[in-house]
Amino acid sequence: MLEIRELTRRFGTTTAVDRVTFDVPAGQMTGFVGGNGAGKTTTMRMVMGVLGIDAGEVRWDGRPITRLDRRTFGYMPEERGLYPKQPILDQLVYLAQLKGMPGRAARREATLLLEGFGLGDRTRDHLEKLSLGNQQRVQIVAAVLPRPAALVLDEPFSGLDPAAVDSMADLLRDYTRDGVPVLFSSHQLDLVERLCDRLVVLSSGRVVAAGSVGELRESGTPRFRLVGGADAGWVRDLRGVDVLDVEGGDVLFEVNEPGAEQGVIAEAARRGTVHEFGRVRPALSDIYREVTA
Amino acid sequence: MTIDTDNGARQRVDQHGDRSRTDSGTGEGRGAPAWLLVTRREVLAKLTDRTFLLGTAVMVALIVGFMGVQAWQSESTSTYTVVATADAVPMAEAVAEQAPSIDDTVEVEVDEVADEGAARAALRADADAWLHPGDDGWVLTTESGEEAGLTRVVETVVRQEVLDDNASEAGVSLAQLERGTQVSPAFLEGDAEKAGFAHAVGFAFVFLFYIAALLFGMQLASSVIEEKQSRIVEIIAAAIPLRQLLAGKILGNTVLALLQVLVYVAVGLVGMAFTPYKTYVAGITGPVAWFVLFFVAGFIALACLWAVAGSLASRTEDLQATTTPLTVAIMGVFFAGLFLDGRGQVVASFVPPLSAVVMPQRILAGTAEWWEPLVALALLAAFALVTVRIGERVYRRALMRTGGRVSLRQAWSTAE
Repeated sequence: MLEIRELTRRFGTTTAVDRVTFDVPAGQMTGFVGGNGAGKTTTMRMVMGVLGIDAGEVRWDGRPITRLDRRTFGYMPEERGLYPKQPILDQLVYLAQLKGMPGRAARREATLLLEGFGLGDRTRDHLEKLSLGNQQRVQIVAAVLPRPAALVLDEPFSGLDPAAVDSMADLLRDYTRDGVPVLFSSHQLDLVERLCDRLVVLSSGRVVAAGSVGELRESGTPRFRLVGGADAGWVRDLRGVDVLDVEGGDVLFEVNEPGAEQGVIAEAARRGTVHEFGRVRPALSDIYREVTA
Repeated sequence: MTIDTDNGARQRVDQHGDRSRTDSGTGEGRGAPAWLLVTRREVLAKLTDRTFLLGTAVMVALIVGFMGVQAWQSESTSTYTVVATADAVPMAEAVAEQAPSIDDTVEVEVDEVADEGAARAALRADADAWLHPGDDGWVLTTESGEEAGLTRVVETVVRQEVLDDNASEAGVSLAQLERGTQVSPAFLEGDAEKAGFAHAVGFAFVFLFYIAALLFGMQLASSVIEEKQSRIVEIIAAAIPLRQLLAGKILGNTVLALLQVLVYVAVGLVGMAFTPYKTYVAGITGPVAWFVLFFVAGFIALACLWAVAGSLASRTEDLQATTTPLTVAIMGVFFAGLFLDGRGQVVASFVPPLSAVVMPQRILAGTAEWWEPLVALALLAAFALVTVRIGERVYRRALMRTGGRVSLRQAWSTAE
């Protein structure tokens, strides 16, 4: 498990990352979301040790992370581009060798991975000859060679078409299945909701929400919706609930005192028909908007 | 659970995701050291770069061509046709016979003609000169202009022959007459031709260093910014210490520059063996060896600064601005190498990085004491050490800074 504890980084007088704390559990995909300038990239660069840490720490295996640990991580930085004028296989082998992988094994593995992405016949091409989507595929191959202990990916899905997103996601799942923790940042909330086990929302350098997607949707004040036959204005008078919206027999309310919703449904049944009653779980985008507002 | 990483290392991942390495892990200390991998990549990338190979080939062709012209000029001989009437043929033949020993670029052919009229006709046709006795000595008539090479040879031979005859008439031998008249050249300041040659070789040294420092330096700076701009440096930094990346890049470029300069020097020396300067080749091998040492030390000192210049930029477009101080400094070295003499040259020959080109010149000219190159080299090496240390610090810090150009001051004082 990768643990980020109270991580802080200042640039001059601005605090880009402010006491950020979250976990990236083994075998899970953790999505890292937040607007531009929220501090995602800075956090990831500190996790990877390419940017100094002002305060706090990164822990791996329950102890402070070392350079050797990071050497076993796969990392995909924010802006794409390996060496544009070098054959793709050569540079993949070079990068894998820098991480200690023997050249021959690196060549074999890289070729297999490239073939898996349908790039088997382009191994000798210069990177710049490839389409952007294909360059991104090469980039992910660079991150997973040699087989990483953890993956830290900055915007791995940006610029990919839906089919490429799926094959990239499949590849990442291969690693999480083997127990590899994966942290990736993204702007695309729908994608994060679909792929992630866990979510960390960053805003202005602070974690404003963190947890599994389910937990996040359950968190906050519970909301319920009641649709009855008659005007639902009476709900306002009950204790322990706050009405958010009423439209005829359709009412949306929040519960401040646990169990107060039971009073509402009993009262509704006494007053007439109840067409619908249920918990309303907000969409991820709503939560995001709420926590980053 | 055990994941076979397929690279010989096995990583254990237990239920809690805890992982411990069972051997030296993914390779620190195994296989080639990182700096060597970087060096190899730098060298291989360049050796497969068509522009680089073409540039080197063109330079070699230029050197070969220059040497060829020198050799050809010294080899080429002019053949003169001299006409003479029967009475003058013996003298003309004496000229033809002795010409090569007087000037090896002059060859004389003799054509006998019937009379003066025929001689004049031959001159108007394709003969070069007409040798005939005059009222007071001999006359060498040409169609219009004087043929300097031929005239000198004819003068010498005629003088010799006539003196010989006169001496016999007087009852002495020419050898007796000439005894004690020989003047042998001796040089207080050394041979002017040799000095000129030393000067030319010195210029070649300065030029080679200037070209290498500028071209390889610029390439080094742009490869640094290429890595920074594409962020591949972040991937590399996560894998190996940046110090090793820098060391590998500098070493790789130094090896390349050295290889290139050795090729040029070898071609130059071999070519020189075919020119009239061949007698000097043995004499300059020592200075050439010194030059190579100074070249390496000077190159390393500047290479690190080039890497810094690259790391301070944030895009390729910024390079112009961040490399200007270095370009100017290298121009300074160039001009110091070309124009300094006397006391200024002596001082500059100890001041890094000027010493990289000035000291080899003094060694060539033979004005340096034996210990002076050693001291200058030690100073230059110390200077290189300082630039490497400073450069490393700035490089490491500037490389990870994004968003606009980084000033030296920021890079020096910023936190990593």
